[in-house]
Amino acid sequence: MNEQTAWRLQAWLDGELPSDEAAEVLRLVNADREAAALVRELKLTRAWLTGNELRRVVPESREFYWSKIERELRPAVATAADPAPHSAGGWGWWRWVIPATLAAALAVFLWMPASSPTRQNAGLAPAEVENSQEDLGNITFRSDSEQMTVYWVNNL
Amino acid sequence: MSRSKDYSSASDDALVRDAQGGDMAAFEELVARHRDKVYARAYSMMRNEEEALDLSQEAWVKSWQRIGQFHGESSFATWLTRIVINLCLDAMRRQKRLHAESVEQMSQEGGLERHLPAVQVDMLEGLERQELRERIDAGLSQLSDAHRTVLILHEFEGLEYKECAKRMGCSIGTIMSRLFYARRRLAALLVGLHQERKA
Repeated sequence: MNEQTAWRLQAWLDGELPSDEAAEVLRLVNADREAAALVRELKLTRAWLTGNELRRVVPESREFYWSKIERELRPAVATAADPAPHSAGGWGWWRWVIPATLAAALAVFLWMPASSPTRQNAGLAPAEVENSQEDLGNITFRSDSEQMTVYWVNNL
Repeated sequence: MSRSKDYSSASDDALVRDAQGGDMAAFEELVARHRDKVYARAYSMMRNEEEALDLSQEAWVKSWQRIGQFHGESSFATWLTRIVINLCLDAMRRQKRLHAESVEQMSQEGGLERHLPAVQVDMLEGLERQELRERIDAGLSQLSDAHRTVLILHEFEGLEYKECAKRMGCSIGTIMSRLFYARRRLAALLVGLHQERKA
């Protein structure tokens, strides 16, 4: 029996042969003892294998096995959750407003001490305004660059 | 599906729908149900516990990432098994374990098996099922990766020649040759193991 014939016998058993060729193979099996013996062996081997794969179980606990999978999945889940604020409406807007507000507050905080008259070098300041606590109605304006001082006296 | 729902009583289809909606607890239940099957398939192909664990877990990660592409054409377990098979085949290719034999080698290989007289496989009748399974597994371990893989794909996964060829990246003729060799070799091994036990 040549190689091609042996493979055709197998293909016939596996239902992979066209019907016209199948009839020819059947005739061969009925007429040739060697072919019949080979078909019997292949058929029985296939029958033994069917449904007889050894069952194996994961050699780890459910929790430990899952924990390794979960570790890989968590970043993906976090990324998948990101689009939610777009659909949530208000929160998406606040997400940008809050940092912007904080940045603005920080800028004001940094600017305030620098512009405070008490900490500023008078020689560098373009102008100063003083308002004494004793008399809130009097205001003094002094400009070094202009070499000028103005007193505003409120008589009320 | 809410957290309070009993996942263990839900069907696979329901769990898959929930997992497609981002419910990781539903997915965890699917893992618990099918992890042995996925691991067993990886082990049957790789024959190494550590690789089988890694590849089976990788299959679960991939299935979560692609779960939106599952539309129920097959069962979830079958879909998942196809993923782990592809990962194992990729790993075997990287390790050059599925090396393509030349036509001459294949001819010699198949030729030798072809000339062996048919073995009396029916002498295995009467074996306890577990014992038979263990012998089949021992026989599979003695086959080359390429021969064992084609048997697994065809006999255990029920794939047709064409599909086996596509997955293994070879011709249908190569599949027929490998399958023929693998079956005859396994039959001889099973009978040999049986005779060794009796002696």
